[in-house]
Amino acid sequence: MSRPEGIREVDVLIVGAGLSAAAASKRLVDAGYETVAIERYALPRNKPCSGIISPRGHRFLIENFGPLPREILHEPTSCQGVTFHFRGMIQMPMDFDYGSTPHLNRMNSDYWAVKQSKVEVHDRTRLISLENRGNHVEVLAKQDKEDVRYRARMVIGADGTNSQVVCSLYPGYRQSINWFTVRQYLHEIIECPLDRRYFHFWFHPGLGYYTWSHERNGRQIIGVGHKAGDKLTARHQKTIEYLEKHYGVKLKPTEDKETVVNNFGLSLINRYVFGKGNVIVTGQAAGFLNMIAEGMSCALHSGAIAGEAAVEAMRSNADLQSVYRQMIASEVRRCSDQWNPIKILFGRPHEADFREALSRLRGRDKRKVIVEILKFLYPWGEYNWGRQMVMQALIRELRGNYSPSRWL
Amino acid sequence: MKQDEFNTTKLPRGIIPPDPVGPDSLKGVPRQQTNPSRWDGTGWNAFVAELTSRDIMINQSLAGRSVYITDGGGVAMGLPRGVLVARSSEDVATILKAAQKYTVPVSVRGGGLTTEGECISFGGLQLDTRGMSNVLHIDEANLTVRTEAGIYWHSLAEALRRRGLDYISAPLNMTSSVGGTLGVGGIDINSPKFGCSADQAIALKVVTPTGEIVECSERENTELFERVLLGYGQFGVITEATLKIRPFTPITMHYFYYSSLRTAIDDLRFLVEEEAADYLGILTMLDRAINLLVAFDSDEKEREFFSRYKKRISGLGEIGFAIHMAAHYALHPWKAKEALYLLERKRSLLPELSPAAHMHGNKIIDRTVVFSRAVWKFWGDREMVIPDLATSSEKFAEAVERGNEVCRRYFPHYTLYCVGIKLFGSFENRPRYELSCIPPDAQNFGYGCEFEPMLGNHNYSRDHFQSFKNEIYDIGVDMGTSYYRFGGMMKGYIRRAFGDELVDKHLAMKQKADPAMILNPDVIF
Repeated sequence: MSRPEGIREVDVLIVGAGLSAAAASKRLVDAGYETVAIERYALPRNKPCSGIISPRGHRFLIENFGPLPREILHEPTSCQGVTFHFRGMIQMPMDFDYGSTPHLNRMNSDYWAVKQSKVEVHDRTRLISLENRGNHVEVLAKQDKEDVRYRARMVIGADGTNSQVVCSLYPGYRQSINWFTVRQYLHEIIECPLDRRYFHFWFHPGLGYYTWSHERNGRQIIGVGHKAGDKLTARHQKTIEYLEKHYGVKLKPTEDKETVVNNFGLSLINRYVFGKGNVIVTGQAAGFLNMIAEGMSCALHSGAIAGEAAVEAMRSNADLQSVYRQMIASEVRRCSDQWNPIKILFGRPHEADFREALSRLRGRDKRKVIVEILKFLYPWGEYNWGRQMVMQALIRELRGNYSPSRWL
Repeated sequence: MKQDEFNTTKLPRGIIPPDPVGPDSLKGVPRQQTNPSRWDGTGWNAFVAELTSRDIMINQSLAGRSVYITDGGGVAMGLPRGVLVARSSEDVATILKAAQKYTVPVSVRGGGLTTEGECISFGGLQLDTRGMSNVLHIDEANLTVRTEAGIYWHSLAEALRRRGLDYISAPLNMTSSVGGTLGVGGIDINSPKFGCSADQAIALKVVTPTGEIVECSERENTELFERVLLGYGQFGVITEATLKIRPFTPITMHYFYYSSLRTAIDDLRFLVEEEAADYLGILTMLDRAINLLVAFDSDEKEREFFSRYKKRISGLGEIGFAIHMAAHYALHPWKAKEALYLLERKRSLLPELSPAAHMHGNKIIDRTVVFSRAVWKFWGDREMVIPDLATSSEKFAEAVERGNEVCRRYFPHYTLYCVGIKLFGSFENRPRYELSCIPPDAQNFGYGCEFEPMLGNHNYSRDHFQSFKNEIYDIGVDMGTSYYRFGGMMKGYIRRAFGDELVDKHLAMKQKADPAMILNPDVIF
C-alpha cells in the first residue's frame, strides 16, 4: 500500500476499510472520482464478528463485488438460519428467506471487498483530526508514526462502532450514549449437540444482554454481551455451565477471544449519526445494526448510499448532507423496522419468519415464549428505550418514515 | 493474503462458478456481478498506440469522458478510459480488431437511453456511434430508407417528413439511435399494428466483434441478421440499416378513461387482438386515472372503430369520468391529496398531448414530436427507473396488477405504460425473438407494461430503486414472463427468466463470435 506525500488532494476520503467503506468506494470509483480509503490497521485486518451476514447482504456482495471466493468463508461455510432458545428448553429454529447465507471470515471478506472496489487504500493510517472548511475538508492522519495530510472535497466516516470521525465531529458524543461490550470466546469442541447449521441465540436475562453460539472452523464460539464495564468473564463462565447442564455442550477451556465495544441501540430508537458539512457517517459508525446484531448488510447498503450521495452531490453541486439524509431514509426504514414493535407484530421486517416459527409451537409454549421475551426486555428498561421505540413506530405508521429530526 | 489468492478474480465472463456457500444459498439467484468492476486497463496503452498509428485518436481527457458517465437511467455510473466517436464502419472495424488483440472492453452507445447501465463503459472504451448519422438513400417507390445507424430517430424523421414519409415504428423517445433501438426492440403505441422497430429492418451493415464488416438480411448472412436484431449488442455493431417506411399521416387521437386497471387492460387486449385501431396504449396516473389511448391514421379506420368497437369497451369520456371521480373522492375525502395530484397532472399533461402548434383541426400533425416532448417533460426525471414485464395476453392483467401493488408500496406517484406488440412468426422462424423481450409463450401478440415512479426532486437511494425493480422482476420469474430491460444491472434475472440451457446456448454463440468477449461485455454476460 502506498504512502501519500505532502498534502494529498482527493475527491473523497473514506475513513475505514471494512464493508461499508468498500461499498462506498465501489460507487465512487465506478463514477471515476479520485478516492482514498485510510485504515488504521495493516490490511488484511481482523474484525471481531459472528460473520453471519443476512441474505440481503449476501446478494449485495455478489451483485457488487462478484461471486464469493471460498477463501472469504469460514467452516461451516453457511448458516441456514437462527434458533432462538428460551428457558424451559423451548427452541424456535427459523430458516433464512432465500436459503442459507454465508459465514464470512471478516479478515478476508473485508479485504476482498475493498480490493474488488478498486479503491486506493492507505493502511496503517489512523485519523487524528478533520476540519470542515466549507468547500473541502482538511484531514490529519498518522501513518505509522508520521503525519500525513489529505484535502478532500468530502469525507465518509466508515470506521465502525468506535468511530474517530464521529468523535472528531461531535467531541462529547462518546460520553452521551450507552456502550456495550461483546466478546466471543473460541473453544475446542468435546461434544456439542447444538445444530451446527444454525446461529443460536438465548433469550435469557440471567446469561446477559446478548448470548449466542455457533461453530467456526471446528471450534465453538460462545458469545456474551453486556453493558460496558460488566464482568464478561463471569458471564461467559455462567453461560458455559448453563449450556453444559441444559444442552450437554462440552467444550475445552477457551483458547482465544475477540472483544468489541458496541454502540448498540441507536437503530432501535432512530438516533443515527450522519455527520455534518462535507463529512458524512455510514455503517455501524452511524448506528446501523440489524436485529440479533447483524451489522454487515446494513453496513454494505448504507455505505453504498453514502458513496451514491457523494457522487450525486458532486455531480449536481448539491448539499451533501441534504442528499445523503434523503437517500439514507430507505436504509433507516429497513434497519429500524427490524426493531419496530408494530412492524414485528403486523409486518415482515426480518429475513426469517418469526411469526411462522412461533405458530409452529404448541399453545403453552407460545405463551411462554412471549413471556420470556418480555422478561428478556425487562433489564433493558434502564435505558428508557421502550417509549422512544413506540413513539418512533407510531411516527413510522403515520408518516411512512422515521423522523429525521432525531438524527445527529 | 494477496488479491490474486482469491480465486474468482479471473473468472471467464459469463461463467457462474460453483457456490462455496451452500447449494440452497440465495435460492435461484445466480452468483453474477451485476454492477461491474472497473476494468483494470491491462493492454490499454498498447491499444491506444496501435489505433493512433492508424490515425484513430482516442479522447482520454477527463472532460471528454465525463459526459458518458451515466445513461438515460441516471442510476448506474461508470467512467470510460477513453472515448471515440466513430465516423464509419471502417473505424468500428479497426477498433474491434484492436480490442480483440488487446482484450479491451468496448461499450457501444448511440442515444445512451438505456436505463440499467447497458451502454455504460466501466473503464474500457466508449464507442459513440453518433458520428454515423447520415441518411444514405430514401427509396420512395419501394418505401425503404437506408440510413447510418447512429442517427437519432428524430433526425431520420426530419429527413423522411420532407418527402411526405414516416418511419413505421420507433420508441416515443426520439433521441434514441436507430442502431441501439434495433438491438433491443423498440416499442411504440403502433407496435400492436406493426410490431417492434427491429421487425422493420430489411437489411443491416454490421461490424462483427472480430472486426469484419458484413452485410446481412433475411436472405444474406441470415444467422447474423437474426442474432444482431434484438441481440442487445452482443453479436455486432449495427452501422447501417435499411428500414421499411410508409407515407406520413396525421393521426386522430381519442382517450377513454377507466378507474379499473383490469377493465382497461381487458379492453386494450380486445382492441389489439381485433386490430381495431392503428395506435393503442394505456397511460395511467397512479392506478386511479387510467387512460386508454386510441388513434387512427385514417378517417375510415376511425369510423369503423366507432361503429364496430366503441360500444364493446367500457371506457368513459372525459366528462363521464370527471363525474365518476368527483363522486369517488366525495366519498373518500381523506384522499383529497391524491385527487389534487390527479387534477394537477391532468391540467398540465393533457394539453401537451394536443398542442396547438402540432394540431390541424382534430388531427395531430406529428405524433412523434408531441409524444417525445411529453415523455421528457412529464416522465423524464433525473433518474429514469422503469422496470417492466413483457407477457403473453393471458398473463398480462395479473402481471400489471401485481406490479401496480409494488409501485404503491414504494412510491407516492407513478405511471403505468402498457402496450401490445404484434409478433411476426414464431421463435422457430424468427430466432431474433429468442432471449429477448418477446415472451416465449406469446402467440401473435405480446404485451408489455412499464412501471415508472414519478421521482420529482426527491433523492432516492439506488438500493431503494433496486429493491423496487427486484420486486417487479420477481413477479416475472414467478409468472414466467420476459422483460424489455433485462440487461446491465438487471442481468441477474436473465438466467432466472430464460433458464440456463438457453443462456448457455447464447453464451457459446457469443464466445464463438467474440473470442475475447470485449463487445458490450457487461450487458448480458
